[in-house]
Amino acid sequence: MGEDSESPKINHSFLRDYVTEEDLLATGDKGGRVVIFQRETESKGESEELGESGEYNVYSTFQSHEPDFDYLKSLEIEEKINKIRWLPHQNAAHFLLSTNDKTIKLWKVSERDKRPEGYNLKDEEGRIKDISTVTSLRVPVLKPTDLMVEVRPRRIFANGHTYHVNSISVNSDDETYLSADDLRINMWHLDITDRSFNIVDIKPANMEDLTEVITAAEFHPQHCHLFVYSSSKGTLRLCDMRESALCDKHSKIFEEPEDPGNRSFFSEIVSSVSDVKFSHSGRYLLTRDYLTVKVWDLNMEKGPVETYQVHEYLRSKLCSLYENDCIFDKFECVWNSTDSVIMTGAYNSFFRMFDRETGRGVTLEAWRENSKPRAVLRTRHVYTGGRRRRGDVGVDSLDFTKKILHMAWHPAENIIAIATCNGVMQ
Amino acid sequence: MEYKVEAHRIMSISLGKIYNSRVQRGGIKLHKNLLVSLVLRSARQVYLSDYYSGACLNAQSEREGNEWDITDSEREKFPPSATECDRVESTEEPQPNEQPEKEREYRENDDEVKSDQVDCTSTLQEQNQNSSLDSVAKVSSETPPESITEPKESPSDSAVAERDSTPEANGESHQPPKPYVCSNRKRSAEESESGDSPQKRTKVASSNAKEDEEAEEMDTSNVSNLITIFGSSFSGLLSKESAKPEAEAEDSGQICCDQMLKNLNPWSTAIVAF
Repeated sequence: MGEDSESPKINHSFLRDYVTEEDLLATGDKGGRVVIFQRETESKGESEELGESGEYNVYSTFQSHEPDFDYLKSLEIEEKINKIRWLPHQNAAHFLLSTNDKTIKLWKVSERDKRPEGYNLKDEEGRIKDISTVTSLRVPVLKPTDLMVEVRPRRIFANGHTYHVNSISVNSDDETYLSADDLRINMWHLDITDRSFNIVDIKPANMEDLTEVITAAEFHPQHCHLFVYSSSKGTLRLCDMRESALCDKHSKIFEEPEDPGNRSFFSEIVSSVSDVKFSHSGRYLLTRDYLTVKVWDLNMEKGPVETYQVHEYLRSKLCSLYENDCIFDKFECVWNSTDSVIMTGAYNSFFRMFDRETGRGVTLEAWRENSKPRAVLRTRHVYTGGRRRRGDVGVDSLDFTKKILHMAWHPAENIIAIATCNGVMQ
Repeated sequence: MEYKVEAHRIMSISLGKIYNSRVQRGGIKLHKNLLVSLVLRSARQVYLSDYYSGACLNAQSEREGNEWDITDSEREKFPPSATECDRVESTEEPQPNEQPEKEREYRENDDEVKSDQVDCTSTLQEQNQNSSLDSVAKVSSETPPESITEPKESPSDSAVAERDSTPEANGESHQPPKPYVCSNRKRSAEESESGDSPQKRTKVASSNAKEDEEAEEMDTSNVSNLITIFGSSFSGLLSKESAKPEAEAEDSGQICCDQMLKNLNPWSTAIVAF
């Protein structure tokens, strides 16, 4: 399945629909478009064979955000989709939230496969009939028709943020969600668009004293009063909304002291957390900074319980990565459904998976050519010294334009979606 | 030395990024600019500290201790007699944060210094390079030996010599070093190492009152120079920045360094406006 090749940046979010057992995957791109994929089911009769079913096909495409302009500040607002999140499924329709830098929208995705026929006052083409020609009355009948997927905006949450929105997270109470920008986090009710509550505000009184910004935020998967947000300094703050209305004061702060041996000009950039995810169990946190992924236990604040090197060989190349702006790339990280494997992206179309039980990591390459589902991906290795094996890639020959930033893992099965520069792969 | 070159290069790149971010679609990205400014400050600190460790053999720590005490009030401390290096620091202009670099005077042994009579003028604020240069020139006119360096200082390139002398002069805070410094200054002025000048610029450019420039005794003429500098308008950041990325030469590098503070300022003001 391919995305528009002009839109390299894609956001993912998976939905596992337990009611109708539909599998939907939504991706957003730089042009403000959202594409929803649906997984084919093998056959309708038998119970679903998880992991056996077919590919994902395009289900619907719609334009979520348009370029906008802030007249007050004379700033253009990009239509690029920053995050997409599905809402927990409740009825026949699916709802998703999508956001660009400033505005969050709630979309309703519904199917229509029947349409009424036999109107009394309208003819088949919809034109109003001349009343004098109506001689008898009948009740319109629903007839099956081709499947149509309708996507309509149901809510638009605008004017909530002064800075660029970087995260949205739906709460486990199915009623509220949070949106985070660089300095503030707001909590919204899904039904109310003209009001939001500010729950975190780290803007200093004097902007020149600014030292850190919020980089990601997420609600706890089970506890609707807990949320976590990460900062550009590499700290995580867990906040409990029961403590106060404004959660500037954190309940717990998770940070690891910096290793003085690794100090360089770019230490701050490298320690900035680009993504944070709760585990499905709610016990652990997964964070991604530029060179590592770390697993934190909510009960231990003084440091991560596990640290995995994603591409340590880049540490000596930070200066050139700074020059070509690659050091600012924001990689995402994901858990698998059982919280036993974590995954994150890297360069050269590589992505890394780490098995938490064994502590081992593997590098895989996302090949466009292997578009068959369940094709075995090649294990790759980056040559950093010692004996070079055939097939090893040298650090200097890595293609830094092929970066895997966005990915999603199916909440129940071993299916992953990875955004490459011009496509989506499962 | 290579640290300085590296630090200087990183500073130039950072400034270029800040400049480019202003014209980017979608507005200024706060997170990225914050990180770039942190890199900029780290590089500057390394640049300055490197300079000191190289230039000052003794009393480095003392000197730095003194230097960190720079405050606005020091402005008034300028001694009437000009002795060692005169540092003309032009404060970045309208930055509440930036403390105008004032020349610090070390009165330790004016007499000794007098003998050297090297004017070091380091423009801390790059705000207006030309104006600082002018002031430097003025200062230099006071002391004959300095005149050698002064003329060199003129437009950014020649400033190298001056800068060189300045940093060295800055490095010293006490008597014994002073003579040493002075001699260094002269040498450096003559050598006009380009590499040094950027460093010096950088030092001067330090905006957050962390500069180590140690102020030598200031002349009254320096005071007037300062006034000139403060009075000079800050030429638009854009113009300077645009000059910066284009120029690869040392002088442009120097300008860039000088712009450092300014760049931080505009960024801050941009953020505030944000």
